[in-house]
Amino acid sequence: QVSVINTVDTSHEDMIHDAQMDYYGTRLATCSSDRTVKIFDVRNGGQILVADLRGHEGPVWQVAWAHPMFGNILASCSYDRKVIVWKEENGSWDKMYEYTGHESSVNSVCWGPYDFGLILACGSSDGAISLLTFTGDQQWDVKKINNAHTIGCNAVSWGPAVVPGSLIDQPTGQKPNYVKRFVSGGCDNLVKLWKEEDGQWKEDQKLEAHSDWVRDVGWAPSIGLPTSTIASCSQDGRVFIWTCDDPAGNTWTAKLLHKFNDVVWHVSWSITGNILAVSGGDNKVNTSSSPGAEPSTEASPSSACVFCR
Amino acid sequence: MAARWSSENVVVEFRDAQATAMSVDCLGSHAVLSGRRFLYMVNLEAPSEPQRKIGRQSKWDVGTVQWNRHRSESHIFAASSNQRVDLYSWRNGNGDVHTSLQGHTRVISDLDWSWFEPEVLVTSSVDTYIYIWDTRDARKPTVALSAVAGASQVKWNRKNQYLLASSHDGDVRIWDKRKSNTAVEYMAAHLSKIHGLDWHPDNEFILATSSQDNSVRFWDYRQPRKYLNILSCQVPVWKARYTPFPNGLVTVMVPQLRRENSLLLWSTLDLNSPVHAFVGHDDVVLEFQWRPQKEGSKDYQLVTWSRDQTLRIWRVDPQLQKLCSSDGVEDLLESLAIDSPKSLTYQEPEGHHRVGPAADHLQDLDSVLGSGLPQTLQQEFSLVNLQIRNVNVEMDAVNCSCVVSAHFGSHQVHLVVKFPAQYPNNAAPTFQFVPPTTIPSAMKTKIQKILTDTSLQKVKRNQNCLEPCVRQLVSCLESDMMQEDGPASGAFILSNPVTPALQAFPRVTNTYGSYQDANIPFPRTSGARFCGTGCLVYFTRPITMHRSAPPTEPTPRSLSALSAYHSGVLTPMKMRSDSQNTLRLYSSSPTRADKDTVSISSFYYKERKPPMSASRRWSVQTLHDWPKSRRFKTKREGTDYSNRPIKLAGKVIIQDISCLLPVHKVLGENYVLNMNDIQDTCQKNAAAALAVGRRDVAKVWALASAATCQDLSPDSDPDTETPWARHPFGRHLLETLLDHYSHISDVQTLAMLCSVFRAQAPPPDGYPPYGLQPSRSTIVPPQRSRYPSFTSSSVTSGSCSSTSDSVTMTTWNMGRESDHNNPWGESSPDDYRYGNQGYPDPRDREREQHDMNKRLLDPTNMLQFDDFKKCYGEILYRWGLREKRADVLKFASCAPEPHKGIEFGVYCCHCRSQARGTQCAVCKHLTFQCAICHVAVRGSSNFCLSCGHGGHTSHMMDWFRRQDECPAGCGCHCLLQSTF
Repeated sequence: QVSVINTVDTSHEDMIHDAQMDYYGTRLATCSSDRTVKIFDVRNGGQILVADLRGHEGPVWQVAWAHPMFGNILASCSYDRKVIVWKEENGSWDKMYEYTGHESSVNSVCWGPYDFGLILACGSSDGAISLLTFTGDQQWDVKKINNAHTIGCNAVSWGPAVVPGSLIDQPTGQKPNYVKRFVSGGCDNLVKLWKEEDGQWKEDQKLEAHSDWVRDVGWAPSIGLPTSTIASCSQDGRVFIWTCDDPAGNTWTAKLLHKFNDVVWHVSWSITGNILAVSGGDNKVNTSSSPGAEPSTEASPSSACVFCR
Repeated sequence: MAARWSSENVVVEFRDAQATAMSVDCLGSHAVLSGRRFLYMVNLEAPSEPQRKIGRQSKWDVGTVQWNRHRSESHIFAASSNQRVDLYSWRNGNGDVHTSLQGHTRVISDLDWSWFEPEVLVTSSVDTYIYIWDTRDARKPTVALSAVAGASQVKWNRKNQYLLASSHDGDVRIWDKRKSNTAVEYMAAHLSKIHGLDWHPDNEFILATSSQDNSVRFWDYRQPRKYLNILSCQVPVWKARYTPFPNGLVTVMVPQLRRENSLLLWSTLDLNSPVHAFVGHDDVVLEFQWRPQKEGSKDYQLVTWSRDQTLRIWRVDPQLQKLCSSDGVEDLLESLAIDSPKSLTYQEPEGHHRVGPAADHLQDLDSVLGSGLPQTLQQEFSLVNLQIRNVNVEMDAVNCSCVVSAHFGSHQVHLVVKFPAQYPNNAAPTFQFVPPTTIPSAMKTKIQKILTDTSLQKVKRNQNCLEPCVRQLVSCLESDMMQEDGPASGAFILSNPVTPALQAFPRVTNTYGSYQDANIPFPRTSGARFCGTGCLVYFTRPITMHRSAPPTEPTPRSLSALSAYHSGVLTPMKMRSDSQNTLRLYSSSPTRADKDTVSISSFYYKERKPPMSASRRWSVQTLHDWPKSRRFKTKREGTDYSNRPIKLAGKVIIQDISCLLPVHKVLGENYVLNMNDIQDTCQKNAAAALAVGRRDVAKVWALASAATCQDLSPDSDPDTETPWARHPFGRHLLETLLDHYSHISDVQTLAMLCSVFRAQAPPPDGYPPYGLQPSRSTIVPPQRSRYPSFTSSSVTSGSCSSTSDSVTMTTWNMGRESDHNNPWGESSPDDYRYGNQGYPDPRDREREQHDMNKRLLDPTNMLQFDDFKKCYGEILYRWGLREKRADVLKFASCAPEPHKGIEFGVYCCHCRSQARGTQCAVCKHLTFQCAICHVAVRGSSNFCLSCGHGGHTSHMMDWFRRQDECPAGCGCHCLLQSTF
C-alpha cells in the first residue's frame, strides 16, 4: 500500500523548486526561491534541519546528491548563474566548489554514475552545458559544450554506466570500458544525447518529437538489460519515452506516453526503471491510459502522475 | 510622454458598417471597410461622399483585408473569411469576387500581398500552415510552409522577395520561400502572444514585434537571441508599425480598463516616450494604415478605423516627421512650452461627416494631458523592482509622490518623495523625512544628501531614479545599523536560530530581470521524484495558492511571463464580447492585487488575501517580510492579512511506494545464498518469498530447487547422456523465467536466480570462465543475447539435434540465423577454421562444448547476468544490507576492480632498487628484514610510516607493548608518529 511516511514542513520563505533525498533515503534536500538550500534528516519519520545553506543570490532551481562513496556532497544550481557544490565535513556543511562559468540561469544539475568519479553536468539558459570533474586536491576540471541547445538548456540527465554495444564479450578481470553519456533537453524543442570520445564531448543523437521547449529529460536506470530508455517531457504537455535496442545506440524510437493539458516539467524514474513519475503545472491529473502504460497512482493531489509499465 | 497631440483632420462615421478590417489601396484613393454584410468602398479624396457597397453573404466576419500592392493590380484586394480568401476586383464603381482561394482547414489569421510579385499572396492560419498562392492558379497554393504551430501574423519582407516572417504565439520564424521545409531562423521573441509584426521599410534584416507581454521589440533576425531594442509599455501592444518616413513607429495598445484609444508615434531612436499621440477615437482602434503619399506632398496621412465606427485621417506634417529623427528630442523639449497651447486648439477639418462636441474632445485632450506626465512616472512605478526586506514603498502616481517606509532594527524611516512635473527630464525629486522617523537628524541630513546626489546623477541623463534612491537609502541604513545597532539586528537572527541573518549575504539587486528572462524556463512549483529505493518525494504549492491565470490558460513557459501576468490577458477581440461589468470584475480580482511582488509566487494568488480596493495606489512590499511589522497593519487598509504570514512554501511529502516496486527489502534481508546446500537455499528462499506474498517467486524457487537437484547434475563424460540443461525444462525454462522477470524489471529475482544457478554449476575451468584462455576471448563473437527476446543463441543447429523437437519453430529459426556467428555451430566454415586453430584435438573441443552445454545458465549471457547482480547489489547497498550485497557479488564472473588506494612500495634492502612485494625483481633477494629478528619478512608485517622501520607483526606488537621508540634505534617515537 502506498503510504505517506513523512511530511516535512520546510519553512522555506518562498516556493520550493526541488526536493530530493540522498542515496540511502535518510536525508532530504530542498531548494527554494528564497535563495536557500535546506537539508533535513528525515529518518524514522522525523524532520531535523541539518543545514540551511546560503550562498546563492537568486532562486535555487535544483539540487543533486552525489554518490555517498565521495562523501556527503550536494550540488545546487540557481538563477544567479552559479553552481555550488556543498560538502559535509565533520558535521558541518560548507561550500566545496563554486562554479560561475555560465552567463545565465543554471537550470539543471546532475551527477554522473559513480563509476566515472565525481562528475557533474550543468545545463544553463545560456545554451551551454558544463561538465565539472573533480580531479582531487580541490581541483575541478571544467569542460563546456557551448551552444548545446539554442536559446537554452533546461535539463540534463546521465545515462547509466554500461558498456557500449553492451554484452559483447570482453576480457574479464579488466575494468569495463564504460562510455560517458548523458541526455539533455532544451528550448530548441530537442532532446540531445552526448557522448565522450577521446576526452571530448560530442553530440551523439538528436531526438525530435516535441513541439515546444523540452522541460525535463530522464535516463532510466539500467538493471542490466541492453535496452536504453529515456523519458522526456515538454511545455507542449507531451511525455515521450525513447528506447534504443541497438547496441551502437543509434536508433531511438519515440513513443508518446501521454499528452497532458498543461506543461509537464518533471519526469523521474524509479530505481528499477519500470515506474515513471510525471509532474507538471496542470492541476488536473488525466487518468486515461495510453498504450502500454497507464497512470497507476495519483500520487499527489495536484500535480503528479505515476506510470507503471 | 507625448508632448503633442493632434486631432484628426477628417472624421467619417459609418454607423452601420460593423467593419472589422480596413485597407488602403496602393494609389491612396480608396479604402475598403469590411463588414459582415457589406464591403464599403471609401473614396479617400472625398470620404463623406455616399460610399459604395459590395454585398457579401457569409456568416463569418472578414478577418483581414488588403489591397494589392502593385499599381498594375491596384483594383484587386483580398479578404479572408474563415478558411477562405476571396479576391475582389473593383472597377468603375462595381466590385465582385473573381477568385476564391481555398486550402486552409482552419481560420485564416493573416494575409499579405507580396511587395515584388503582383500575383503572389501569402496566408497564415491556425491550421499551422502558411500558404503562398499565385492568384493566377487558385486551385492550390504554390508553396506550403509547415510551422507546427498556428500562426497569428505573416508578413513579406520589403527588401528581399523571398523572405517572409510569421509569428507563432511568442515566437517568430523567418522563412525563405525557396526553402519550404523549415524556417530559416527561429526567434523566441516574446513571452506572450505576438499581436503584430512589421518589417523595417528600408532594412532587409530588421523587424518589429508587438506583444501581449507589454513590449515592442526590435530584431535583427541574424541575431535571433537578443533583441536590438525594446519599447516597454505598461499595457499589451496590439500593433506596432514603422512609418513610411525614417525612424518612426506607430503603436496601438490593447485597450485596458482605462480607455487608451490613442495611437502613439514613437521615435525609434528614443523609446523613452512617444513623440506624438493621435487622440480622437472613442473606442478600440482596429486598423491603421498609411496612405501613400501624393506626389509633391510632404505630408503623410494616417488612416485609422476604430470600433467607434469612424474612419479618421490624420495628417503628419514634416515637422512631426522630424520629431522622429535624431534631433527630434531636443526640438520636442524646446517646443514643449510653446506648442502645448497650440496643440490644444481644435482644428476644424474640412468635409468631415461628424464633429464630436468640442467640449468632449477638449476633455479627452485634458485627460490625456493630465495623464501624459504620470504616464512615465506610472510606468516607472509599475516597472520598478523594490523587493527589499523591511522596505515598503507606496506609490501614488496621481499626486506624483511616493512614501518609502523602512525599518531597521529599532529605527523607522518614513521618507516622502515628490516628483516634479518635468521629472525625469533633468528635474530631481525632493526627499523629506516625515514622522515617525526615528533616526537622528545628523543621519537624516547625510542620507538626504546622498539621495539628492543619486537622483541628480540619474535625472541629468533623463533617467528614472526611484529604484536607485531607495536602494541607496537601504544600504545607508544598513551599514549604519551594522555599526551602531548590533543588538537590534540580533533580533533577526533570533527569528531563525539555525541560520545566520540574510543581511550577511550579498543582496540580489534584481531578483527577476523580467525582460531578459525570456529564455529561462518558468520554474517548477510542484514536482515528484523517486528517491532512495522506495520513496517518492513530492512537493506542491500550498493549498491556499492558486494560479492567477484562468485554468484554461497553460502555464507560461518562461520566467519573464511573470511580468506579463501583471497586466491582464485581454485582447481587443475578446473585449468585444465582454461587457463592461465583467471587465471590471476581472481587473479587481485578487489576481492582479500583488502585481509588484515579483517572485514566482506572484503567478499564484493567495486565497486569504482580500481583493484590493480599486484605488490608484500601487504598493510594493515583500510578502515574506519578517518580522511582520505593526506598521503594515495600519497602513494596509487594516486587514489582518499582513500580520498573518502567507505560507509560500508547501510541504514536502515523502511517500513509501515500495509496494509498487518489483523488489522487496524484506526479501533482500531474508534471502540466503548458501553455496554448499543449494537445495536448502532454494527452499528457504521460497519460504521467504511466500512470506511477503510473492507466490510467483515462491514457485520459481520451487522450480529452481528441482532443477538444481543432485539427480540432475550433469555427468562429466560428454558421451553418457545429454545434460539436463539441454532439456526443454532445463536452460530453456530458465531463460523463459529470466525473460519474464526482465519484463517486469524484477532485478531481485533475476540476480538471485543467476547467483543460484551459477553456484549450482561453477565454471569447470575455475574462475573466471574464459579469462584463463586469452585465445578464446578473441573468437567469441558478439552474441544476440538481448532480453527480452526469445532468441536463445546457444540453440544451434549442430548441437540441437537431440532437443530440437521441443524447441518452438521461431526459436529454431532464430537459432539458425545466428549460426554463422556461433563458434560451436558445426555448420559454419568459420568455426571449422577457428576450431582447427584453437583445438587440434576434437575431443578437447567436444569436452569444452559439453562443459558449456551442461550449464543451466547460458554461458554467452554471463555479462548480462553479472549486470543483474551488480544492479541488485547496488539496491542492497542502498538498503544497508552490505553482507547480502557481498554474498550476491561473489557470484559475479567479473573480478572486482583491482585495489586502487595507497600502496606501499619498498626499496630492496640489498640492491636499493624499488620493489613491490616481498621479492626484489632485480636481485631476487627477499626485499626487507625484520628490525627485531633480522630475518627476511614474508608474511604479515608492520612499519612505522615515519621512520620506515618495521618487521614481523608479532614482533612489532611485542616490542611496542613495552616500548614506544623504534626497535632499530633510530630514535623515532613510532607510536606517536604513526597514526595508523
